[in-house]
Amino acid sequence: MSGAEIVRTIFEEFPYALYGSILVGMICAFLGVYIVAKRVVFLGAVMTQVSVMGLALTFLPLFAVPHTLGSLVITLGTVVVISRMLTGKKVPKDAVLGIVFVTSIAARILVLQKAAKVEVAEIENLLRGDILFVTPALFYLMAGAFVAASAAHLLFFKEFTYISFDAETARTQGFNAAGWEIAFYLIAGVVISFATHMVGDIYVFGFLVIPPVAAMLLARRVTRIFVVAVLIGLLAPPVGLFCAFLFDLPSSPAIVGVAAVVLAAAWIVSLVRKR
Amino acid sequence: MEPVIRFTNATLGYGHTPILRDLSFDVHEGEYFGLVGPNGAGKTTMVRAILGTLKPLAGTVRVAMPSGATVRFGYVPQRDTVDYVLPYTVGEIVMMGRYRQMGIFHRPGEADRTAVQKSLDHVDIRDLGGMSFRDLSGGQKQRALIARALASEPDVLVLDEPTNGMDLSSRLSILDLIKHLHGNDRLTVIMVSHLLDDVANHVERLAIVEREFFQVGTVAEVLTGANLTTLYGMHVDVRRVDGRMVILAGGDDERR
Repeated sequence: MSGAEIVRTIFEEFPYALYGSILVGMICAFLGVYIVAKRVVFLGAVMTQVSVMGLALTFLPLFAVPHTLGSLVITLGTVVVISRMLTGKKVPKDAVLGIVFVTSIAARILVLQKAAKVEVAEIENLLRGDILFVTPALFYLMAGAFVAASAAHLLFFKEFTYISFDAETARTQGFNAAGWEIAFYLIAGVVISFATHMVGDIYVFGFLVIPPVAAMLLARRVTRIFVVAVLIGLLAPPVGLFCAFLFDLPSSPAIVGVAAVVLAAAWIVSLVRKR
Repeated sequence: MEPVIRFTNATLGYGHTPILRDLSFDVHEGEYFGLVGPNGAGKTTMVRAILGTLKPLAGTVRVAMPSGATVRFGYVPQRDTVDYVLPYTVGEIVMMGRYRQMGIFHRPGEADRTAVQKSLDHVDIRDLGGMSFRDLSGGQKQRALIARALASEPDVLVLDEPTNGMDLSSRLSILDLIKHLHGNDRLTVIMVSHLLDDVANHVERLAIVEREFFQVGTVAEVLTGANLTTLYGMHVDVRRVDGRMVILAGGDDERR
Protein backbone atom coordinates (compact mmCIF):
# COMPACT_ATOMS: atom_id res chain seq x y z
CA MET A 1 0.00 0.00 0.00
CA SER A 2 1.23 3.48 -0.78
CA GLY A 3 1.18 6.25 1.79
CA ALA A 4 -1.86 7.87 0.19
CA GLU A 5 -3.73 4.56 0.20
CA ILE A 6 -2.96 4.03 3.86
CA VAL A 7 -4.26 7.48 4.74
CA ARG A 8 -7.41 6.89 2.69
CA THR A 9 -7.94 3.46 4.28
CA ILE A 10 -7.59 4.90 7.78
CA PHE A 11 -10.03 7.74 7.11
CA GLU A 12 -12.56 5.64 5.23
CA GLU A 13 -12.40 2.28 6.98
CA PHE A 14 -11.25 3.11 10.49
CA PRO A 15 -12.29 6.69 11.29
CA TYR A 16 -13.27 5.86 14.88
CA ALA A 17 -9.91 4.19 15.42
CA LEU A 18 -8.17 7.37 14.34
CA TYR A 19 -10.36 9.83 16.24
CA GLY A 20 -10.66 7.57 19.30
CA SER A 21 -6.92 7.03 19.59
CA ILE A 22 -6.36 10.79 19.29
CA LEU A 23 -8.94 11.54 22.01
CA VAL A 24 -7.38 8.99 24.35
CA GLY A 25 -3.88 10.20 23.52
CA MET A 26 -4.71 13.83 24.31
CA ILE A 27 -6.66 13.33 27.52
CA CYS A 28 -4.29 10.69 28.94
CA ALA A 29 -1.31 12.94 28.15
CA PHE A 30 -3.01 15.85 29.95
CA LEU A 31 -3.94 13.84 33.07
CA GLY A 32 -0.53 12.19 32.96
CA VAL A 33 1.19 15.53 33.68
CA TYR A 34 -0.49 15.55 37.11
CA ILE A 35 0.14 11.84 37.63
CA VAL A 36 3.86 12.25 36.93
CA ALA A 37 4.03 15.46 39.02
CA LYS A 38 2.30 13.77 41.96
CA ARG A 39 4.79 10.89 41.68
CA VAL A 40 1.99 8.34 41.41
CA VAL A 41 2.91 6.94 37.99
CA PHE A 42 2.33 3.44 39.28
CA LEU A 43 -1.26 4.50 40.00
CA GLY A 44 -1.79 4.84 36.24
CA ALA A 45 -0.64 1.25 35.72
CA VAL A 46 -2.82 0.09 38.63
CA MET A 47 -5.93 1.83 37.33
CA THR A 48 -5.54 0.36 33.86
CA GLN A 49 -5.23 -3.13 35.37
CA VAL A 50 -8.24 -2.55 37.64
CA SER A 51 -10.19 -1.39 34.63
CA VAL A 52 -9.22 -4.53 32.70
CA MET A 53 -10.24 -6.65 35.69
CA GLY A 54 -13.60 -4.84 35.74
CA LEU A 55 -14.06 -5.74 32.08
CA ALA A 56 -13.14 -9.35 32.73
CA LEU A 57 -15.59 -9.61 35.64
CA THR A 58 -18.49 -8.74 33.35
CA PHE A 59 -18.01 -12.13 31.69
CA LEU A 60 -18.99 -13.89 34.90
CA PRO A 61 -22.69 -14.76 35.26
CA LEU A 62 -22.74 -13.10 38.71
CA PHE A 63 -21.61 -9.74 37.31
CA ALA A 64 -23.27 -9.81 33.91
CA VAL A 65 -23.56 -6.07 33.20
CA PRO A 66 -22.42 -4.15 30.08
CA HIS A 67 -18.62 -4.28 29.80
CA THR A 68 -18.13 -0.51 30.00
CA LEU A 69 -20.36 -0.21 33.04
CA GLY A 70 -18.59 -3.07 34.83
CA SER A 71 -15.20 -1.57 34.14
CA LEU A 72 -16.36 1.89 35.27
CA VAL A 73 -17.94 0.70 38.53
CA ILE A 74 -14.92 -1.39 39.53
CA THR A 75 -12.45 1.37 38.60
CA LEU A 76 -14.31 4.14 40.44
CA GLY A 77 -14.86 1.94 43.50
CA THR A 78 -11.17 1.14 43.60
CA VAL A 79 -10.25 4.81 43.14
CA VAL A 80 -12.31 5.79 46.19
CA VAL A 81 -10.73 3.07 48.34
CA ILE A 82 -7.19 3.70 47.05
CA SER A 83 -7.39 7.49 47.46
CA ARG A 84 -8.25 7.00 51.13
CA MET A 85 -5.51 4.44 51.64
CA LEU A 86 -2.93 6.61 49.86
CA THR A 87 -3.36 9.36 52.46
CA GLY A 88 -2.98 6.93 55.38
CA LYS A 89 0.32 6.42 57.12
CA LYS A 90 0.14 2.77 58.16
CA VAL A 91 0.74 1.18 54.76
CA PRO A 92 3.25 2.76 52.32
CA LYS A 93 1.75 4.20 49.11
CA ASP A 94 3.62 1.90 46.75
CA ALA A 95 2.66 -1.14 48.81
CA VAL A 96 -1.05 -0.21 48.50
CA LEU A 97 -0.68 0.22 44.75
CA GLY A 98 1.33 -3.00 44.43
CA ILE A 99 -1.35 -4.99 46.26
CA VAL A 100 -4.14 -3.64 44.05
CA PHE A 101 -2.03 -4.17 40.91
CA VAL A 102 -1.21 -7.81 41.56
CA THR A 103 -4.70 -8.62 42.86
CA SER A 104 -6.26 -7.18 39.70
CA ILE A 105 -4.06 -9.29 37.45
CA ALA A 106 -4.68 -12.41 39.54
CA ALA A 107 -8.44 -11.82 39.46
CA ARG A 108 -8.34 -11.35 35.69
CA ILE A 109 -6.51 -14.66 35.21
CA LEU A 110 -9.00 -16.45 37.46
CA VAL A 111 -11.93 -15.00 35.52
CA LEU A 112 -10.39 -16.10 32.23
CA GLN A 113 -10.01 -19.61 33.61
CA LYS A 114 -13.67 -19.75 34.57
CA ALA A 115 -15.06 -18.16 31.41
CA ALA A 116 -16.63 -20.42 28.81
CA LYS A 117 -14.03 -21.56 26.26
CA VAL A 118 -15.90 -19.97 23.38
CA GLU A 119 -15.63 -16.60 25.04
CA VAL A 120 -11.93 -16.65 25.82
CA ALA A 121 -10.88 -15.24 22.46
CA GLU A 122 -13.47 -12.47 22.75
CA ILE A 123 -12.39 -11.69 26.29
CA GLU A 124 -8.73 -11.52 25.35
CA ASN A 125 -9.54 -9.28 22.41
CA LEU A 126 -11.54 -6.99 24.63
CA LEU A 127 -8.94 -6.92 27.38
CA ARG A 128 -6.17 -6.13 24.93
CA GLY A 129 -8.24 -3.32 23.45
CA ASP A 130 -8.33 -3.28 19.68
CA ILE A 131 -8.06 0.22 18.28
CA LEU A 132 -9.12 -0.80 14.79
CA PHE A 133 -12.46 -2.06 16.00
CA VAL A 134 -13.55 0.89 18.12
CA THR A 135 -17.34 1.07 17.87
CA PRO A 136 -19.17 4.38 17.34
CA ALA A 137 -20.92 3.90 20.71
CA LEU A 138 -17.63 3.49 22.56
CA PHE A 139 -16.13 6.41 20.68
CA TYR A 140 -19.00 8.75 21.66
CA LEU A 141 -18.76 7.57 25.26
CA MET A 142 -15.06 8.39 25.22
CA ALA A 143 -15.77 11.74 23.57
CA GLY A 144 -18.23 12.54 26.38
CA ALA A 145 -15.62 11.63 29.00
CA PHE A 146 -13.04 13.71 27.12
CA VAL A 147 -15.29 16.80 27.08
CA ALA A 148 -16.29 16.40 30.74
CA ALA A 149 -12.72 15.82 31.95
CA SER A 150 -11.34 18.70 29.86
CA ALA A 151 -14.08 21.07 31.07
CA ALA A 152 -13.47 20.13 34.72
CA HIS A 153 -9.74 20.67 34.35
CA LEU A 154 -10.09 23.98 32.53
CA LEU A 155 -12.60 25.28 35.08
CA PHE A 156 -10.63 24.12 38.09
CA PHE A 157 -7.09 24.40 36.73
CA LYS A 158 -5.92 26.59 39.61
CA GLU A 159 -7.39 24.29 42.25
CA PHE A 160 -5.88 21.13 40.74
CA THR A 161 -2.45 22.72 40.26
CA TYR A 162 -2.43 24.25 43.77
CA ILE A 163 -3.32 20.94 45.43
CA SER A 164 -0.71 19.18 43.32
CA PHE A 165 1.99 21.73 44.19
CA ASP A 166 1.33 22.28 47.90
CA ALA A 167 -1.74 20.58 49.36
CA GLU A 168 -0.83 21.53 52.93
CA THR A 169 -0.86 25.28 52.34
CA ALA A 170 -3.96 25.01 50.15
CA ARG A 171 -5.70 23.33 53.10
CA THR A 172 -4.79 26.25 55.38
CA GLN A 173 -6.47 28.58 52.88
CA GLY A 174 -9.74 26.69 53.16
CA PHE A 175 -9.37 24.41 50.13
CA ASN A 176 -10.74 20.92 50.64
CA ALA A 177 -7.52 19.24 49.51
CA ALA A 178 -8.79 15.68 50.09
CA GLY A 179 -11.96 16.48 48.11
CA TRP A 180 -10.00 17.87 45.16
CA GLU A 181 -7.66 14.87 45.26
CA ILE A 182 -10.58 12.45 45.10
CA ALA A 183 -12.20 14.53 42.33
CA PHE A 184 -8.97 14.28 40.34
CA TYR A 185 -8.70 10.52 40.78
CA LEU A 186 -12.39 10.00 39.94
CA ILE A 187 -12.03 11.95 36.69
CA ALA A 188 -8.88 9.96 35.90
CA GLY A 189 -10.75 6.76 36.80
CA VAL A 190 -13.60 7.49 34.36
CA VAL A 191 -11.18 8.38 31.56
CA ILE A 192 -8.91 5.39 32.16
CA SER A 193 -11.86 3.02 32.40
CA PHE A 194 -13.36 4.05 29.04
CA ALA A 195 -9.97 4.44 27.38
CA THR A 196 -8.74 1.01 28.49
CA HIS A 197 -11.90 -0.58 27.14
CA MET A 198 -11.34 1.22 23.86
CA VAL A 199 -7.60 0.98 23.19
CA GLY A 200 -6.15 -1.35 25.83
CA ASP A 201 -3.96 -1.04 28.89
CA ILE A 202 -0.58 -0.64 27.17
CA TYR A 203 -1.81 2.33 25.15
CA VAL A 204 -3.44 4.06 28.12
CA PHE A 205 -0.55 3.59 30.51
CA GLY A 206 1.92 4.57 27.79
CA PHE A 207 0.14 7.86 27.17
CA LEU A 208 -0.23 8.60 30.88
CA VAL A 209 3.55 8.57 31.20
CA ILE A 210 5.45 9.06 27.94
CA PRO A 211 4.02 12.38 26.58
CA PRO A 212 4.14 14.12 30.00
CA VAL A 213 7.77 13.14 30.56
CA ALA A 214 8.71 14.17 27.00
CA ALA A 215 6.93 17.50 27.57
CA MET A 216 8.77 18.04 30.86
CA LEU A 217 12.04 17.58 29.01
CA LEU A 218 11.08 20.02 26.25
CA ALA A 219 9.10 22.80 27.97
CA ARG A 220 10.22 25.12 30.76
CA ARG A 221 6.85 26.46 31.88
CA VAL A 222 4.00 24.53 33.47
CA THR A 223 1.29 25.58 31.00
CA ARG A 224 3.60 24.75 28.09
CA ILE A 225 4.21 21.29 29.55
CA PHE A 226 0.47 20.64 29.40
CA VAL A 227 0.29 21.99 25.84
CA VAL A 228 3.29 19.98 24.57
CA ALA A 229 2.04 16.77 26.24
CA VAL A 230 -1.39 17.19 24.62
CA LEU A 231 0.25 17.91 21.25
CA ILE A 232 2.22 14.66 21.49
CA GLY A 233 -1.05 12.92 22.43
CA LEU A 234 -2.63 14.48 19.34
CA LEU A 235 0.13 13.69 16.82
CA ALA A 236 1.59 10.34 17.92
CA PRO A 237 -1.62 8.27 17.32
CA PRO A 238 -2.10 9.13 13.59
CA VAL A 239 1.63 8.68 12.94
CA GLY A 240 1.59 5.39 14.89
CA LEU A 241 -1.49 4.15 13.02
CA PHE A 242 0.15 5.02 9.71
CA CYS A 243 3.29 3.09 10.74
CA ALA A 244 1.14 0.14 11.86
CA PHE A 245 -0.42 -0.08 8.38
CA LEU A 246 2.84 0.57 6.58
CA PHE A 247 4.87 -2.08 8.41
CA ASP A 248 1.98 -4.41 9.25
CA LEU A 249 2.33 -3.94 13.00
CA PRO A 250 -0.22 -4.14 15.83
CA SER A 251 -1.67 -0.63 16.21
CA SER A 252 -1.41 0.04 20.01
CA PRO A 253 2.27 -0.91 20.36
CA ALA A 254 3.06 0.99 17.16
CA ILE A 255 1.46 4.17 18.52
CA VAL A 256 3.17 3.80 21.90
CA GLY A 257 6.40 3.18 20.00
CA VAL A 258 6.03 6.49 18.14
CA ALA A 259 5.46 8.27 21.46
CA ALA A 260 8.61 6.58 22.82
CA VAL A 261 10.60 7.83 19.82
CA VAL A 262 9.35 11.36 20.58
CA LEU A 263 10.47 10.88 24.19
CA ALA A 264 13.93 9.76 23.05
CA ALA A 265 14.16 12.82 20.79
CA ALA A 266 13.06 15.07 23.68
CA TRP A 267 15.73 13.56 25.88
CA ILE A 268 18.42 14.24 23.26
CA VAL A 269 17.16 17.84 22.87
CA SER A 270 17.34 18.34 26.64
CA LEU A 271 20.89 16.97 26.71
CA VAL A 272 21.97 19.26 23.87
CA ARG A 273 20.38 22.25 25.64
CA LYS A 274 22.33 21.56 28.82
CA ARG A 275 25.66 21.87 26.97
CA MET B 1 -6.63 42.30 75.71
CA GLU B 2 -8.42 39.71 73.57
CA PRO B 3 -6.14 37.09 72.02
CA VAL B 4 -6.10 36.11 68.35
CA ILE B 5 -5.45 32.47 69.29
CA ARG B 6 -6.56 30.89 72.57
CA PHE B 7 -5.83 27.29 73.55
CA THR B 8 -7.98 26.21 76.51
CA ASN B 9 -7.10 22.80 78.00
CA ALA B 10 -6.58 21.57 74.46
CA THR B 11 -5.41 18.02 73.82
CA LEU B 12 -4.01 17.47 70.33
CA GLY B 13 -3.35 14.25 68.49
CA TYR B 14 -4.31 12.00 65.61
CA GLY B 15 -7.09 9.42 65.69
CA HIS B 16 -7.47 8.55 69.34
CA THR B 17 -3.79 9.05 70.19
CA PRO B 18 -3.03 12.28 72.06
CA ILE B 19 0.36 13.87 71.40
CA LEU B 20 0.13 17.09 73.42
CA ARG B 21 -2.17 17.29 76.44
CA ASP B 22 -3.95 20.05 78.28
CA LEU B 23 -2.46 23.08 76.53
CA SER B 24 -3.58 26.52 77.66
CA PHE B 25 -2.05 29.70 76.28
CA ASP B 26 -2.84 32.80 74.20
CA VAL B 27 -1.24 34.54 71.22
CA HIS B 28 -2.12 38.23 70.93
CA GLU B 29 -2.55 40.49 67.95
CA GLY B 30 0.76 42.03 66.79
CA GLU B 31 2.86 39.57 68.75
CA TYR B 32 6.00 37.73 67.52
CA PHE B 33 5.54 34.27 69.00
CA GLY B 34 7.89 31.29 68.80
CA LEU B 35 7.23 27.56 69.00
CA VAL B 36 10.38 25.61 69.81
CA GLY B 37 11.18 22.04 70.65
CA PRO B 38 13.10 19.02 69.43
CA ASN B 39 12.20 17.25 66.18
CA GLY B 40 9.09 15.12 66.60
CA ALA B 41 7.95 16.97 69.71
CA GLY B 42 4.60 18.03 68.26
CA LYS B 43 5.31 21.51 66.87
CA THR B 44 3.72 20.73 63.51
CA THR B 45 0.71 19.22 65.30
CA MET B 46 0.31 22.46 67.19
CA VAL B 47 0.63 24.51 63.99
CA ARG B 48 -2.11 22.42 62.38
CA ALA B 49 -4.36 23.12 65.34
CA ILE B 50 -3.66 26.86 65.03
CA LEU B 51 -4.35 26.80 61.29
CA GLY B 52 -7.58 24.89 61.85
CA THR B 53 -6.59 21.80 59.86
CA LEU B 54 -6.52 19.65 63.03
CA LYS B 55 -9.39 19.63 65.52
CA PRO B 56 -8.44 19.17 69.20
CA LEU B 57 -9.29 15.81 70.78
CA ALA B 58 -10.37 17.68 73.91
CA GLY B 59 -10.61 21.30 75.01
CA THR B 60 -10.83 24.19 72.57
CA VAL B 61 -8.65 26.17 70.18
CA ARG B 62 -10.32 29.51 69.50
CA VAL B 63 -9.02 31.50 66.54
CA ALA B 64 -10.61 34.91 65.87
CA MET B 65 -9.58 38.53 65.51
CA PRO B 66 -10.39 40.75 68.52
CA SER B 67 -13.10 42.30 66.33
CA GLY B 68 -14.63 38.84 65.93
CA ALA B 69 -13.62 38.59 62.27
CA THR B 70 -12.16 35.37 60.89
CA VAL B 71 -8.37 35.22 61.04
CA ARG B 72 -6.63 35.04 57.66
CA PHE B 73 -3.48 32.97 57.93
CA GLY B 74 -0.48 33.30 55.68
CA TYR B 75 1.24 29.95 55.97
CA VAL B 76 4.86 29.39 54.97
CA PRO B 77 5.53 25.64 54.89
CA GLN B 78 8.92 23.98 55.07
CA ARG B 79 10.26 24.58 51.59
CA ASP B 80 11.06 20.91 50.98
CA THR B 81 7.42 19.91 51.36
CA VAL B 82 6.35 21.52 48.08
CA ASP B 83 6.52 19.81 44.69
CA TYR B 84 9.58 20.42 42.53
CA VAL B 85 8.65 18.26 39.53
CA LEU B 86 6.84 20.98 37.58
CA PRO B 87 8.78 24.19 36.85
CA TYR B 88 6.38 26.75 38.35
CA THR B 89 7.65 30.31 38.15
CA VAL B 90 7.99 32.37 41.30
CA GLY B 91 5.18 34.59 40.01
CA GLU B 92 2.86 31.60 39.56
CA ILE B 93 3.60 30.38 43.06
CA VAL B 94 3.00 33.78 44.64
CA MET B 95 -0.25 34.00 42.68
CA MET B 96 -1.40 30.83 44.48
CA GLY B 97 -1.60 32.99 47.60
CA ARG B 98 -4.41 34.91 45.87
CA TYR B 99 -6.54 31.87 45.02
CA ARG B 100 -8.63 32.12 48.19
CA GLN B 101 -9.58 35.74 47.39
CA MET B 102 -10.33 34.89 43.76
CA GLY B 103 -12.79 32.15 44.58
CA ILE B 104 -13.79 29.20 42.47
CA PHE B 105 -14.17 29.57 38.65
CA HIS B 106 -12.29 32.92 38.61
CA ARG B 107 -9.01 33.66 36.87
CA PRO B 108 -6.41 36.11 38.23
CA GLY B 109 -7.36 39.74 37.59
CA GLU B 110 -5.48 43.03 37.63
CA ALA B 111 -5.83 43.38 41.41
CA ASP B 112 -4.31 39.92 41.90
CA ARG B 113 -1.38 40.70 39.60
CA THR B 114 -0.76 43.95 41.49
CA ALA B 115 -0.87 42.12 44.83
CA VAL B 116 1.65 39.56 43.55
CA GLN B 117 4.01 42.28 42.36
CA LYS B 118 3.67 44.09 45.68
CA SER B 119 4.48 40.92 47.60
CA LEU B 120 7.55 40.23 45.45
CA ASP B 121 8.72 43.80 46.09
CA HIS B 122 8.07 43.42 49.79
CA VAL B 123 10.45 40.48 50.15
CA ASP B 124 12.94 41.98 47.71
CA ILE B 125 12.68 39.44 44.89
CA ARG B 126 10.92 41.54 42.24
CA ASP B 127 13.41 40.39 39.58
CA LEU B 128 12.78 36.70 40.26
CA GLY B 129 9.08 36.68 39.30
CA GLY B 130 9.72 34.98 35.96
CA MET B 131 12.28 32.49 37.24
CA SER B 132 11.58 28.84 37.91
CA PHE B 133 11.05 28.25 41.65
CA ARG B 134 13.01 25.02 41.65
CA ASP B 135 16.12 26.79 40.31
CA LEU B 136 16.30 29.24 43.24
CA SER B 137 18.65 29.09 46.24
CA GLY B 138 17.24 28.05 49.63
CA GLY B 139 16.98 31.66 50.80
CA GLN B 140 15.27 32.80 47.59
CA LYS B 141 12.79 29.91 47.80
CA GLN B 142 11.94 30.93 51.35
CA ARG B 143 11.39 34.53 50.27
CA ALA B 144 9.13 33.34 47.46
CA LEU B 145 7.03 31.29 49.90
CA ILE B 146 6.85 34.26 52.27
CA ALA B 147 5.75 36.44 49.34
CA ARG B 148 2.99 33.91 48.57
CA ALA B 149 1.83 34.10 52.19
CA LEU B 150 1.85 37.93 52.05
CA ALA B 151 -0.12 37.92 48.80
CA SER B 152 -3.01 36.37 50.71
CA GLU B 153 -3.13 39.56 52.87
CA PRO B 154 -2.83 37.68 56.14
CA ASP B 155 -3.62 38.75 59.68
CA VAL B 156 -1.25 36.14 61.07
CA LEU B 157 1.92 34.85 59.41
CA VAL B 158 2.85 31.28 60.39
CA LEU B 159 6.31 30.06 59.39
CA ASP B 160 7.34 26.43 59.76
CA GLU B 161 11.12 26.06 60.18
CA PRO B 162 11.86 29.00 57.86
CA THR B 163 15.65 28.86 58.29
CA ASN B 164 16.15 25.12 58.33
CA GLY B 165 19.13 23.97 56.25
CA MET B 166 20.26 27.47 55.28
CA ASP B 167 23.74 28.94 55.37
CA LEU B 168 24.48 31.66 57.93
CA SER B 169 23.93 34.71 55.72
CA SER B 170 20.66 33.40 54.20
CA ARG B 171 19.46 32.50 57.67
CA LEU B 172 20.12 35.96 59.09
CA SER B 173 18.62 37.60 56.03
CA ILE B 174 15.37 35.62 56.40
CA LEU B 175 15.21 36.35 60.13
CA ASP B 176 15.68 40.07 59.41
CA LEU B 177 12.90 39.93 56.84
CA ILE B 178 10.52 38.31 59.31
CA LYS B 179 11.48 40.87 61.95
CA HIS B 180 10.77 43.63 59.43
CA LEU B 181 7.35 42.19 58.59
CA HIS B 182 6.52 42.06 62.26
CA GLY B 183 7.95 45.47 63.18
CA ASN B 184 6.95 47.57 60.17
CA ASP B 185 3.77 45.85 59.00
CA ARG B 186 2.53 45.01 62.51
CA LEU B 187 1.90 41.44 61.41
CA THR B 188 1.26 38.84 64.07
CA VAL B 189 4.00 36.26 63.49
CA ILE B 190 4.24 32.68 64.72
CA MET B 191 7.58 31.06 63.97
CA VAL B 192 8.19 27.36 64.46
CA SER B 193 11.80 26.30 64.79
CA HIS B 194 14.03 23.71 66.37
CA LEU B 195 16.91 26.21 66.09
CA LEU B 196 16.94 27.83 69.51
CA ASP B 197 19.32 30.65 68.56
CA ASP B 198 16.94 31.83 65.83
CA VAL B 199 14.03 32.02 68.20
CA ALA B 200 15.85 33.30 71.27
CA ASN B 201 16.98 36.57 69.70
CA HIS B 202 13.91 37.40 67.65
CA VAL B 203 10.59 36.45 69.21
CA GLU B 204 8.87 38.25 72.10
CA ARG B 205 7.24 35.24 73.72
CA LEU B 206 7.51 31.55 73.04
CA ALA B 207 6.28 28.11 73.91
CA ILE B 208 8.54 25.14 74.50
CA VAL B 209 6.79 22.14 73.00
CA GLU B 210 7.45 18.59 74.10
CA ARG B 211 5.05 15.76 74.89
CA GLU B 212 5.54 15.86 78.64
CA PHE B 213 6.98 19.35 78.93
CA PHE B 214 5.13 22.46 77.84
CA GLN B 215 5.93 26.00 78.96
CA VAL B 216 4.89 29.43 77.72
CA GLY B 217 6.31 32.84 78.59
CA THR B 218 8.78 35.51 77.62
CA VAL B 219 12.16 34.44 76.23
CA ALA B 220 13.86 35.21 79.54
CA GLU B 221 11.29 33.21 81.50
CA VAL B 222 11.26 30.12 79.31
CA LEU B 223 14.67 29.81 77.67
CA THR B 224 16.61 28.96 80.80
CA GLY B 225 19.42 26.46 81.15
CA ALA B 226 17.32 24.37 83.52
CA ASN B 227 14.35 24.18 81.13
CA LEU B 228 16.47 23.33 78.12
CA THR B 229 18.46 20.74 80.06
CA THR B 230 15.19 19.05 81.01
CA LEU B 231 13.85 19.35 77.46
CA TYR B 232 16.86 17.88 75.65
CA GLY B 233 18.09 15.51 78.35
CA MET B 234 21.60 16.96 78.18
CA HIS B 235 23.39 19.88 79.75
CA VAL B 236 22.41 23.20 78.13
CA ASP B 237 23.66 26.60 79.17
CA VAL B 238 22.12 29.98 78.23
CA ARG B 239 24.35 33.04 78.23
CA ARG B 240 24.29 36.64 77.02
CA VAL B 241 27.08 37.85 74.73
CA ASP B 242 26.95 41.48 73.53
CA GLY B 243 23.26 41.63 74.35
CA ARG B 244 22.45 38.46 72.37
CA MET B 245 21.37 35.18 73.83
CA VAL B 246 23.68 32.27 73.13
CA ILE B 247 22.75 28.64 73.76
CA LEU B 248 25.59 26.27 74.61
CA ALA B 249 24.78 22.59 74.56
CA GLY B 250 26.67 19.50 75.66
CA GLY B 251 29.25 21.24 77.91
CA ASP B 252 30.25 20.01 81.38
CA ASP B 253 30.34 21.83 84.70
CA GLU B 254 34.02 22.84 84.32
CA ARG B 255 33.35 24.62 81.08
CA ARG B 256 30.57 26.54 82.75
